Amino acid sequence: MKEALLKYGRIWLRTASMAMQAQLTYRLGSLGFLIGKTFRLVFFFAFVMAVFRHVESVAGYSLEETALFFLTYNIVDMSAMIFFRGVYGARRTVAEGDFDFYLVQPCSSLFRMVGSTVDFLDVLTIVPVLALTGIVFTHLPPAPWTAYAAYFLLVGNAVVLMFSIHVAVAALAVRTHEMDNAIWVFRNVMFMGRFPADVYARPVRLALTFVLPVAVMTSFPAQAFLGRLTAGWTVYALGLSTVATTLSLWFWRDCVSRYTSSSS
Amino acid sequence: MKAYAVAYSIALQETLQRRWSFLMERLGSFAVVVSLFSFWSALLGDKPEFLGYTRAEMLTYSLVLNFLMSFVFTGRGWMLVGEISSGRVSSYLVRPVSYQGYSLALDLAQKSVHAVSALLEIGVLTLIVGGLFLPRDPAAWALFAASAVVASLLFFFLEFCVSTLAFWTSESGGPLFCFELFVQFAAGAFFPLDVLPATLRRLLESTPLPYMAYYPARILLGKVPAGEAMRLVGLELLWLAGAVLLAGWAWRRGVRSYAAEGG
Repeated sequence: MKEALLKYGRIWLRTASMAMQAQLTYRLGSLGFLIGKTFRLVFFFAFVMAVFRHVESVAGYSLEETALFFLTYNIVDMSAMIFFRGVYGARRTVAEGDFDFYLVQPCSSLFRMVGSTVDFLDVLTIVPVLALTGIVFTHLPPAPWTAYAAYFLLVGNAVVLMFSIHVAVAALAVRTHEMDNAIWVFRNVMFMGRFPADVYARPVRLALTFVLPVAVMTSFPAQAFLGRLTAGWTVYALGLSTVATTLSLWFWRDCVSRYTSSSS
Repeated sequence: MKAYAVAYSIALQETLQRRWSFLMERLGSFAVVVSLFSFWSALLGDKPEFLGYTRAEMLTYSLVLNFLMSFVFTGRGWMLVGEISSGRVSSYLVRPVSYQGYSLALDLAQKSVHAVSALLEIGVLTLIVGGLFLPRDPAAWALFAASAVVASLLFFFLEFCVSTLAFWTSESGGPLFCFELFVQFAAGAFFPLDVLPATLRRLLESTPLPYMAYYPARILLGKVPAGEAMRLVGLELLWLAGAVLLAGWAWRRGVRSYAAEGG
């Protein structure tokens, strides 16, 4: 187990280093993407700030609390972009036949597909997000250590859930060419996680909790920190990520076993 | 003209052929609209209006954005960047068609399908939720339609200008990504520009960006008197003329320095 972890750690570092070198080679392109990502973050943050010049609360949340939801969404989303970036190229990997090479390499094909591409621009953009989150924590009323523990536990749980969704999308890319934009659709749906789940009507909130668990990933951590999440929901979130990961891994194995290599 | 009609027809069939991709794309776009409207509803709370928008007007604004996102913000920039970088654009240079016209035909096909779908979604949601603000003055509809068509062409040509950077550098993807994000935010495609501080709003109003979403939506909501709306559409046409000239100039200069790398 330890040896396997070390091996995959080395592979990840090597591929991450290669990705970083590629991004450093394309300076203008990388700068454009970096400015774009930063701009998106700043603009949404400025929007939330501008809104709070006109109102005192949104769905019962103050500016600092709303900012915590928004920043948590960014932490979860960017973590997925950093670690599971490979899924964005999954369709091309399959269509161009490169997946065949992944299958014959002495390393997990899932790891190669999902985790061996790293976007260093997101590593750069997550730093100010983490710093801002720290600042927001200091502006919120003092909370016990258990609130912090629950927050970080549920953020970690959200990353696990993101992993399971990315694995399912990668499996879909192996299985069919029909749903080639599934990951972008998921990103659009994730847009809903920018705001606290309480702003949505009950049916939408239920869908975001039980069908496509955007609320579990983006709202639960902040709600837990603010003491607005019961222990039952925390258990549900942890159970959901366990089930989702198990199912997505099974789905991946099933799709790979049916892979016909017809594109290569 | 027949060649462009054929290109349009083929692109239309191609878009409709991938049904699942299309449906999921629509679902994703709709999620963004639901998200924004829900946020605005939460802001409104029990108040009759927020920033001068009633609940019905805000719902209409969100739904109009759903339509404009499908009809305006769908250029062919990434296709052009890919074709220049891979050298495939060479094959278009020797054909007896204008690349811009061909590209516009493909874009129009995509816009047609997505815009019709957006209108259907708006219809269904209106039936379910109700309370949509619908202008009674036919002039508002006509001016909105004119403004949306010009906005669509304006975005196409502005994006085309940025994409021609690929003639000079293989790294034009970054600037294009930046441009698309900036334009959508600054055009008011996510929220009305009224929320911004007055200085920033005035600054944006002196650019062509608000003509792509903010002004068309305000024209439909009747927030702009007919005379002022006509003046805005006139200004929009001027911006479009400038963008067309700029795109043509950038294309000619680009083709002159094109080295057909990889082609």
